[in-house]
Amino acid sequence: MSDNLQVLLLDDEPIVGRRLKPALAKIGCDVDVFEDPEQALAKMAQKEYDVVVTDIRMDQIDGMQVLEFVRDRWPRSKVIMITGYAMMSLAREAMEKGAFDFIAKPFKPDDLRRVIAKAAHALGSDIDFEAVEMEKVNG
Amino acid sequence: MPLIIVSSDNFKQGDEIGQKVAGVLGYRYVGRELLTWVASENQVSEEDLARALDDPPGLLARRARRQRMLGYIEAACLNVLLDDNVVCHGLAAHLYVRAVSHALKVRIINEPEQRAEELSQAEGISLDKARKQVLRQTKDERRWSEEAYSLDQTDASLYDLVISLGTLELDKAVEIISDTVSYRKFQPMTYSRKLMQDKALAAGVRLKLMEQFPDIRVEANDGTVVAYIQSLKKDQRKKQEMVRQIAGELPGVRHVEVHIIRDLVGQAAQSSR
Amino acid sequence: MVEGSIQGNGQPPPEAGPQAEEEIEVQGRLGLARGAEQARRALLNRPRFSLRLQIFLGNALAFLIAIAIAIALVASFHRMESKIRFLEIVNDYVMEVEQARRFEKNFFLYGTNLSDAQDNVFKAENILSRNAEELAAIMGAGWREEMLPNLHRYEQLLEKLGQQPQSDQALSKQERRRVQSQVRGQGQQMVSAALGLLSKEKTALAEVLTRSRLLLFYSVGLLLLCMALNAYLLGSRMLSSINRFGQYAHRIASGDFTPLTPSKRYRDEFTELALAINSMIEELEDREAVLVQSHKMRAVGTLTAGVAHELNNPMNNITLTAHMLQEDYADLDDQERLEMIGDVVGEASRAKKIISNLLDFARESGSQLEPLDLPELLRETIALASNQIKLSGIKIDFQASGNLPRVHGDSQQLRQVFLNLILNAIDASSKGGQIQVLVLPADEPNYLAVKVIDSGSGIPAHILPSIFDPFFTTKGKGKGTGLGLSVSQGIVAKHGGRIRVSSQEKQGATFTVVLPVTTIPAELGAKK
Repeated sequence: MSDNLQVLLLDDEPIVGRRLKPALAKIGCDVDVFEDPEQALAKMAQKEYDVVVTDIRMDQIDGMQVLEFVRDRWPRSKVIMITGYAMMSLAREAMEKGAFDFIAKPFKPDDLRRVIAKAAHALGSDIDFEAVEMEKVNG
Repeated sequence: MPLIIVSSDNFKQGDEIGQKVAGVLGYRYVGRELLTWVASENQVSEEDLARALDDPPGLLARRARRQRMLGYIEAACLNVLLDDNVVCHGLAAHLYVRAVSHALKVRIINEPEQRAEELSQAEGISLDKARKQVLRQTKDERRWSEEAYSLDQTDASLYDLVISLGTLELDKAVEIISDTVSYRKFQPMTYSRKLMQDKALAAGVRLKLMEQFPDIRVEANDGTVVAYIQSLKKDQRKKQEMVRQIAGELPGVRHVEVHIIRDLVGQAAQSSR
Repeated sequence: MVEGSIQGNGQPPPEAGPQAEEEIEVQGRLGLARGAEQARRALLNRPRFSLRLQIFLGNALAFLIAIAIAIALVASFHRMESKIRFLEIVNDYVMEVEQARRFEKNFFLYGTNLSDAQDNVFKAENILSRNAEELAAIMGAGWREEMLPNLHRYEQLLEKLGQQPQSDQALSKQERRRVQSQVRGQGQQMVSAALGLLSKEKTALAEVLTRSRLLLFYSVGLLLLCMALNAYLLGSRMLSSINRFGQYAHRIASGDFTPLTPSKRYRDEFTELALAINSMIEELEDREAVLVQSHKMRAVGTLTAGVAHELNNPMNNITLTAHMLQEDYADLDDQERLEMIGDVVGEASRAKKIISNLLDFARESGSQLEPLDLPELLRETIALASNQIKLSGIKIDFQASGNLPRVHGDSQQLRQVFLNLILNAIDASSKGGQIQVLVLPADEPNYLAVKVIDSGSGIPAHILPSIFDPFFTTKGKGKGTGLGLSVSQGIVAKHGGRIRVSSQEKQGATFTVVLPVTTIPAELGAKK
């Protein structure tokens, strides 16, 4: 296993995965992208990810169920919720169920990178987010 | 990490509870002391600011002035609340910090009868008179909040927690609040922090424009600012340009949009919905 | 099973089946003759036959009959009078003749003078000639031949007899005897003829009396009959009109705002009432249109929250793509850049579509009747509410039978009805609940049914009968106006359909909208 942060990204919007996979790879994450919650759950049943990023509003299984599954199966994993349907009640519910963070759509790639860096820090494996920032400025 | 916003029908009790909670949790306490800073920052008198918060609604002419005072207070208070671990009381924050999940909003209430008894002892008036005075105070409180923020601050559904000092002692209330705020529910997150930043930015923009545009309403979302102003058609362009320029100079503002409201009545109807 | 029943238009529910499930019904008919002006012209364009005229005619008829009776009676009295007069004349005549005969007898018995008898005969003749007219009136012109010859012959015989025996021409004794017997015979014949006439005329008089009594009896009967008939016709006319207007009121109350059209061939006082009601209907319809629109805007307000959230997804895709394009621009090849720009363009048009659906619905539009594909309409409506459905975490299941006929209606208004039912179902459902929407042929022929079934907590029995009442709401203050179902009911009734509800507590509610399939050819509907 590499030292890279293992990230699972679940969103039924394909574009989200397409853009965020390279964005997160830049800060040293190995990203597995899923659009189907069932497949994501099946994968997670076997593999422990450091960070799970999941949409809340999805057709068959909603993000809250994913959150509960991960908290149950891999208590160490950090779960970040992203949703277009952000509301105070939903945010509080997610936090109460053990989400690491909650981000409202639309968000910028850096918003998520920052949160993932925070999660990595909480996991004890700091990633050099600033380096990416610097690279962007210089590049 | 969260915020605690205390509102009370008795200022002294609210202040005491706020300070005690802040002490227990090691949070910063923000109360009326902030007004000193607000006054010097905006070149207004501290009394005027306090009166805007305390006096019952009166003449229409004073209303615009009061809204301006409240605007100063709101901008300053929201800036303080951008930090974590703050207890806030006495600055009407429960009326403008809404939908923010990491702000625990607490209402402290007293039994009306008990309030009347205390009042009659303190002021040396008859119990009946004191009762009427308590009723009027409650009514004033409601009217004040409805006029200033279109909300009824005596409405329990505005709060996460309502504690009756008629049932629970003050120290017990402090304990309950400290316990409750430790729930994960009230942990700040990217989403709720962003909401606070948007609110603070909007209040900051409004602060700069309030004098020229007393009726201005500002919304902000991630650096994009939308200002609603009233204008006659002929001044429209000039005013829009003015708002854009003033707002655009503020840090954190990336894009400004100015909407002109002509149908004042319709707008009033909409905003009260 | 919870039951409730409201009947519209007094028709029994078509599906009072063995399951004995009573349902709330609202019905009404979409009249073909729309347009108040058209109805007004039709109402006025009839010959006038007012109630006042009918009353007048009835009275006039009774009056005429009474006059006729009076005339008949007078005539009959007149006839009796002349009969009596005739009887008197004949009586007098008989008396004179009898007197003459008495003198004749005296002459024979005592040889008294015969001139007295001749006097009487003369008097009798006088009576006849004096009353010639009356006699002629009764006996006809031939009365003279019948009576006078006898009298004259008698007179001659008397004269012959009266000649002095001493005169030259004195009759022989034998001759006298013969003349004597002739006189006697003649006299008897005359008396008996007169008496015969008398008794015949007496019988005739009795007959006339009887007949005039009958006439009186029958004509009074006729008069009474005529008056009764008049009263009956007048009463039934008024009662039927009042009943008709009662039905109109019922129909209007159920939301059918079709103007009243003529139901009789003539116009009367009720026509004015009908005109007044038609103008009231127009007013009501205007107000209803305002109500429908304002209710629609409330639905739009509800949907806006869902749309705002739904927009966040394409917005997010655009934001992420734009930022990554900016960040990695130099490292990307043209293919990748084009792909990303394509994503932005696609997501922007997706965002536009999300909004335009709602804007289309919100747009104020005139009422337009057209043949509608009901499953398609429902698909659109569900799409409109889809954000709300997602927001509430509810699943919606839509099924439509294949090859359904079209219904004739206003797509905007019907969409509003279905949207209202779906939004209500969303409100009633808890998270994870399911809503079923079905389009299928109704149990009765030529009707389609749309069922919106939720799995919420159901509607308590005691409020079921009032859920269609205006301002009835179970939602909290500021959440519902209580007009949704009432407005929907009005719209459906206008389309000639019904809304029914059946609910079992704890097992959700089923709202069924039944609409008639189109019977109007498409081109006719399109022309409107």
